[in-house]
Amino acid sequence: MKKLIAAFGLALFITGCNATTPDKPASKQAQYEAALKNAQAAVDKAASVGGEWRDIRWKKSKKKYLPSAIEAAKAGDYDKALKLLDIVQFQAEAGYKQAMAQKNAGPRF
Amino acid sequence: MKKMLTLLLSAGLVATATQAMSSPKEDLAHFRTYFEQRFPGIQLNEFGNGPYALDASKRLQWESMEEFPPYEEYVDKGREIWETPFKNGKSFASCFGKDASKVRPKYPHWDKASSKVVTLEGDINKCLKANGEKPFGWKKGKIAHLGAFLGYEARGQKTNVVVPNDPKALQAYEDGKHFFYAKRGQLNMACADCHVYYAGQRIRGNVLSAALGHTTHFPVYRAKWAKKGKGDGLGTLHRRYGGCNKQVRARPFKAQGKEYRNLEFFHTYMSNGLEINAPGYRE
Repeated sequence: MKKLIAAFGLALFITGCNATTPDKPASKQAQYEAALKNAQAAVDKAASVGGEWRDIRWKKSKKKYLPSAIEAAKAGDYDKALKLLDIVQFQAEAGYKQAMAQKNAGPRF
Repeated sequence: MKKMLTLLLSAGLVATATQAMSSPKEDLAHFRTYFEQRFPGIQLNEFGNGPYALDASKRLQWESMEEFPPYEEYVDKGREIWETPFKNGKSFASCFGKDASKVRPKYPHWDKASSKVVTLEGDINKCLKANGEKPFGWKKGKIAHLGAFLGYEARGQKTNVVVPNDPKALQAYEDGKHFFYAKRGQLNMACADCHVYYAGQRIRGNVLSAALGHTTHFPVYRAKWAKKGKGDGLGTLHRRYGGCNKQVRARPFKAQGKEYRNLEFFHTYMSNGLEINAPGYRE
């Protein structure tokens, strides 16, 4: 029984240490920083070919995903920031692909 | 069989190349023919009335609006701006010439010296700056008032944009043409999708206008732009371009930036031969 209690206590101690470790938020922040860098590069690439979509960062957009992600990260909400950056990444890549696909666009009549 | 395939492929390639390299004149002829066939019975000049040329009930509403046109007071404001001397004693006439009716038909045009498309709005602000005045905003307000006055004075004269045989001018024209036909934004739509292929059809309560004749009535008074917080109703062509891009969820380009100036060059050229009827009224 004593052994069982000791093992249980050890398990609790390990779990407790794990929960209080500062690794988790730091890794979210690192994830965010990497995602932001990638997203910004993708947005610049889309903009360079005139393929940027409205809601990524345009000042009059109600959504402004990129600035909103930066705001969320500033407030410490990295989960929200990462979700928004996912949208930015997708829209920027899609905008670039669209512009490339439309490179030879012309009349269809 | 092989010979047949080769022949067909060559014909296809030649056809594609011809389409890609078509001259502005050929483009204009195809563009016009397309709309004439699509809307038989509508006179060429009628296309300048936009959706009101295509839909009888909308036309009735528009005609009743035109009895007391809401843009009239802005034409008067524009006249005042035209006539008011600058602080240095000069006026817009010193830049554009005394005859206000001769100004609007000159635009847009290709300027060889600067190698760019020059618009009326661009020259209005250039004139102000050259005379030590503060330039107007690009999309609404005084620039649209003055444009409305100059358009009104030029009513009845024909659009006559010239694309000179200069590689740079032709490139600007081609860039504008590409912009017009390229899909963009989250909704993946081109200017041509609404205003060529679906012209005359409804988008919610609105009738999509034909691109032929689009530029003749700008600056335009739009009831939508007269709502609180949006201005007095009057706006420039580049304001409308921005609005269209926004609607397809593409990031709009800057008014009077290269993209919209080149688009205006192509877009206006496509209305060559149609009478200027600015300012117009739209919903």
